[in-house]
Formats: sequence, C-alpha cells, structure tokens
Amino acid sequence: MLVRNVTMQGHKDHGKSTLIGSILMLTNSVSQARIEEAKKYSQKLGKPFEPAFILDSFEEEREGGLTIDTTRAEASYKGVAFELIDVPGHEELIKNMMSGASFADIAILLVSAKPDEGIRDQTKRHVFVARMLGINSIIVAINKMDSVEYKKEVYDKLVNEINSFFKNINFSGSVRFVPISAYNGENIKEKSEKMGWYKGKPLLEELFFLSKKKDKPKIKDLRAVVQGFIEEENKKLISARVLSGCLRKGTISVYPNGIKRKALNLIVNGKKVAKACENDTVAIELDAPLNEARGLVISSSSKPIITKKINALVFSTIKLGNNSKISIRLLGKEFAAKKLSINEVIDASNGLHKKGNFIKPLDAGRVAIDLGDYVAVEKYSELKGMGRFTFYSGSKFGGVGIIE
Amino acid sequence: MIEQNLKELEERSIFILREAKSKFKNVAALWSMGKDSTTMLALARKAFLGKVPFPVIHIDNGIDFPETYKFRDDLTKKWNLDLIVAKSEIKPEISGFSCCGSNKTEALKKIMKEYKFDALIVSIRRDEHGIRAKERVFSARDKNFRWNYKNQAAELWDDYSSKIDTAGHVRVHPLLDWNEIDIWRYIKKERIPVNPLYFSRNGFRYRSLGCTHCTVPVKSNAKTIDDIIKELKNTDTEERAGREQDKEKEYVMQKLRAFGYM
Ligand SMILES: Nc1nc2c(ncn2[C@@H]2O[C@H](COP(=O)(O)OP(=O)(O)OP(=O)(O)O)[C@@H](O)[C@H]2O)c(=O)[nH]1
Ligand SMILES: [Mg+2]
Repeated sequence: MLVRNVTMQGHKDHGKSTLIGSILMLTNSVSQARIEEAKKYSQKLGKPFEPAFILDSFEEEREGGLTIDTTRAEASYKGVAFELIDVPGHEELIKNMMSGASFADIAILLVSAKPDEGIRDQTKRHVFVARMLGINSIIVAINKMDSVEYKKEVYDKLVNEINSFFKNINFSGSVRFVPISAYNGENIKEKSEKMGWYKGKPLLEELFFLSKKKDKPKIKDLRAVVQGFIEEENKKLISARVLSGCLRKGTISVYPNGIKRKALNLIVNGKKVAKACENDTVAIELDAPLNEARGLVISSSSKPIITKKINALVFSTIKLGNNSKISIRLLGKEFAAKKLSINEVIDASNGLHKKGNFIKPLDAGRVAIDLGDYVAVEKYSELKGMGRFTFYSGSKFGGVGIIE
Repeated sequence: MIEQNLKELEERSIFILREAKSKFKNVAALWSMGKDSTTMLALARKAFLGKVPFPVIHIDNGIDFPETYKFRDDLTKKWNLDLIVAKSEIKPEISGFSCCGSNKTEALKKIMKEYKFDALIVSIRRDEHGIRAKERVFSARDKNFRWNYKNQAAELWDDYSSKIDTAGHVRVHPLLDWNEIDIWRYIKKERIPVNPLYFSRNGFRYRSLGCTHCTVPVKSNAKTIDDIIKELKNTDTEERAGREQDKEKEYVMQKLRAFGYM
C-alpha cells in the first residue's frame, strides 16, 4: 500500500489530536477497544468523549488536555495508507513538533474558527517550519465550525487572513482550504450537509488528491551518504544510504576528499545486486580500506559541493548570536562550529525581516557557519538529505537548518 | 490492518540496526523468542551479512512455555547466537505488573550492569499500544532505567543518533514502524522460524507471547501463517488483549515503561 506521511500543524487546542482521532474512527482504522478506552477516561475526567485521547495516551496529556509528544497512527482511505503524525501545539514543545513533522510531505494546518482562537503565533510558526522542512502541500482545515453555527462568513474571513499570510511568506506550494468540525466529523469523509455553501471536497478527498504527487530530488546523479563500517575490523566493508541516482559496481569517488575506490560487490537487504538506487541502504565491498567512513558522500559522475563554510536558513529554539558556541549534526556527523555569523534575523511568526544581530528563541534567520572541516553537501532545495542539519548548544537541542 | 511496503520497512530497520552498532560500543538485544524479536534477529542477519553481531538476552523466569525453550535452543544453534540467559526471580504473588514488570526488569538491570551494555535493542512496535506509539527510535533510559517521557530528545529525519544525554543506556527500536500484519507477511516471505505457540490448537492460539502466567490465548483457528494473515486482515481486537498487565490498572503501560519495562 502507498504510504504517505501527513503531519498536523497548528496552535495548541485547535484540534489536531481530535482530527486524527476522528479520521481513525471514520475510516475504521482503530480498534473498538482503543475507542472504548478513550471513552472511559473521558468519562472518568467528567468530560464528554474526547477523540484526542485515542492519541494522547500519557496520563499528563489527558489530565492536562494537551499533547506532550509526537505520535503516529495509520488510516487507510481509498487504498492509500496515511501515516497521520500528531504533534504538540504548545510553543515550549516545538522540538517535539519538529521531530514529528520532519517525516511528513503533506501538512494539515488546523485553525480554529472559534472567535477567541483563530490565527495564532504557533499557527504561523508551524507554517514557517513546515515550509523550511520542504513541505509543499498544505491543507488548511478551518476547524470547530460547529461552534460558529457552520457560518460561511467566519470561514471566508479566516481564509482571507491565511491567504495574505501565505503571500507574506512567499509560500509557493499548493494550499487547499476545507471547513470542518473535527469533533463532529463534519466534512471529513463525506461532504457536510451543514455546510452546503462549501463547494470543495471533504478533507480526506483533498488528502487523497495530494497523495498522488510525490517530490523527487532535483539531483539525478548518484549521491550516497556513508553510514559507517559494517565491521570495525574490516574497513573495506561500508554501509551507505543512496539518496539519489544509482550506485553501480566499479569506480566511485568518495567526498569531500575525492578518493577513488572500486565497488566490488553491492548488497541490498541481504542480497547481492548489480545496482543500488534511491532509498536503498547498501553494503559496499571496496577494493581497498578507508580510514574513516561516517558522513562521507559517494558519487560517480558529478561532484557534490565541497566546502568548509555553509550558508543556511535556521529556525532556532535557543538564543543565537555571533558568539554562540554550537555544534552541527550534518550527514550523521557532528561538527563543532568554528564560527557563526548571523546575517539576517527573521520573525518566524510572519516571515518578515527583523532588525538586530541575534536570533531570539522561536525565531529564524540566515547564518554562515564555519564547520572547521571540509564536507560534501548539497543545497536543501536540490537534495534534502544532504542539505539539512540540526544544531545543539552543549547537549541542548537548538533548532534546524537548511543549506541555501 | 494496514499492510505496508516490506522492502521499505526492511531497509529502514537495517539502517537503524547498523546505526546502533556503529554508535554504541556494547550493544545487546532482547529476545523473547516471540515473532517480533525473532524477526528483528532475521533483520540483523541481513544487516550484518549473515550473523547477529551482538548478544541476545532472554529474561527467563523459568515459567516460559516448554515450546519456547525448545525454540530458543534450536534457533540459538542454527543461527549461532550469543545467548545470555538472565534468570529472573518468581515471587509467589506473581500476576501482571509484578510478573512481567518488576521481576523481569530487575533481572535485566543486573545483566546490563554486569556486561556494561550501553544500548539495548527492543522489538516494540507503535501499533501495539498508545504508549509505545510515543517512543522514539533511539530512546534514553537513565541509570535506574527510567524513561523521561515528558522530555524526550529531538529526533528528526533519520538522524537517530542525535545527541542523547544519558548516564544509563539507550533503547533502540528498529521495528517501531512495523504493523503486526507486516511482521507475519515478512515471516512468510523470509521463511523465518516461528514459535509453534502462535498457531491454533484446539481452537486457540497465542497472538502475543509472555510467560505462562500472564498470557492467555485468543480464540482462533489459524493453523498456518496464511491463516494468521487472513485473520489479522479482518480483526478488530487488540493484539495484546491476552496480556493481563495491560488491563490491570490505569496507565499501567505508562508506568511499566517509565520504570524501564520493555
Ligand atoms: N466544538 C469543537 N471543539 C473541538 C473540535 N475539535 C476539537 N475540539 C476541542 O478542542 C479541544 C482541544 O482539542 P485537541 O485535539 O486536544 O487540540 P490539539 O490541537 O491537539 O492541542 P495540543 O495537543 O495541545 O496542541 C478539545 O477539548 C476538543 O474536544 C471541534 O470540531 N469542535
Ligand atoms: Mg493534541
């Protein structure tokens, strides 16, 4: 079955977990026992049934009425398996949001239609991060339409506001809008009779439509990132994951140094093969040993970008200034940054340029990082797996970056 | 039950197993002789070209089924496994929580300390339980085996070996993405040996295996792997429905896991 990863996005309490719970029930993708268990606990807390409890399983999540950590559940619709990724909306939990959203290629952005909810900081920040992570398809679900009597005017107003936000941040991907009530299951699987004025498709149909598109890497030539030696004693046997193109037996170049080796044998999933292509993890038997392996890049024709210094767009969860000491995790390797220069500060809640020379927590910016060592990379827009990194301050997670 | 692409699942698990082996100095795996941990060993044989390059731990409370012991000894020989048996104590008041929980965890703690393992491969799956679905692929446990689930490390993309701060060990979960039905489809495709208790006898079979005291069989006529796959396609009950400990108390799974249970 085709599997597509879909992340929820949106401010706390706008209905992300509820929507997944609803979809699971409407598509019969969850056991009766799990539903009963969620019902029982809603009752115990003196609440009407919370479909969110199908996902929110920790005691603290149920008692506190919020998602703490990301989780996933699968729903099948028309022969496609949608891996629905729930994430927390609370701003302090944004690292958990990024952990979940990093796997997705489609996002459902929830915006509550309730008068006191609407477009909030996390609504915009999530979009900023989603776009950075390369999500090009967003379905905006205007939720809780039941609480505004399913009125068209409320929906139209929010659609306008969100559209102008997307324009401000130059979002060029595809955006679709659907009015729903996650709680009542309106406009999710079937068209809602309560919103006859809405002419589009229900949510799952929109999702199904988007599931047919799949981004392919722009780079067509071989790029494989080396994971390490398979046996520590035998430095002729390495493991690599192919990110683009195909690896064949014969001469290969290993970057950043450009060392030449011969690939004598290729083994994928336990079998000897003539070639290993995109998304294969391959064991390579080399003609001569390598001194080090992890984080190197294999190519056969064209050369990746070889550099010590990267220019990147970052989203930071810590304060980041020109003197900040950070380490970068790139290609599975860690680099202590020699120098960090902040070139531009961006307000992640509106995507606009900001004055100043440091990045506040939960804001973004453009930076130049001197890694102190040569690496082989690509721009994120060309090949995601070779152009993205996370950064840390000591052992504290600091945020994500993409190479521009 | 949703069937995923086996080749993709296989590839991801192999990647994770190699990641664990290259990141940690002293890796071990838990082997319950059940279908999941046996599938994990088959994947490890693929990842490391025919051999399982780490010890496998059986936490033995002496009351596993006779079939399970035989299965263990046969496969240990056949696959040349480095088997460590961690004897776990049985207290007279055994039931759910204490049987599968604390007793076994104590035995594991002793072994982990004795051998100084820094990583433990555990074959849990997200579809088993809401709490297990909250796990990361690499997940830290502190000295006392505690899981700080309220503040898990970031884990983006396939960078599983992100910074993990622990004085204890790291749990590695290579099968997190698999569904129960995928395990059976893979067992069939790869002809992986399975414990005979999974097949129906007198109208009952075990769907999930614990020890004799805390597992009960479910009604089933599935006598072959194909029967099991067919049964799962139409089933609406939970796999762990036959496990006493899961239903005992509220949040019992969360508590078991927070205390280092597998
Ligand atoms: N009236 C109404 N309430 C809803 C709807 N969807 C969700 N809610 C309620 O809104 C509250 C928050 O829903 P959740 O699904 O927990 O929100 P969330 O976005 O997951 O929140 P976080 O996990 O904290 O980010 C719950 O009490 C839901 O019952 C809806 O369609 N209509
Ligand atoms: Mg939630």
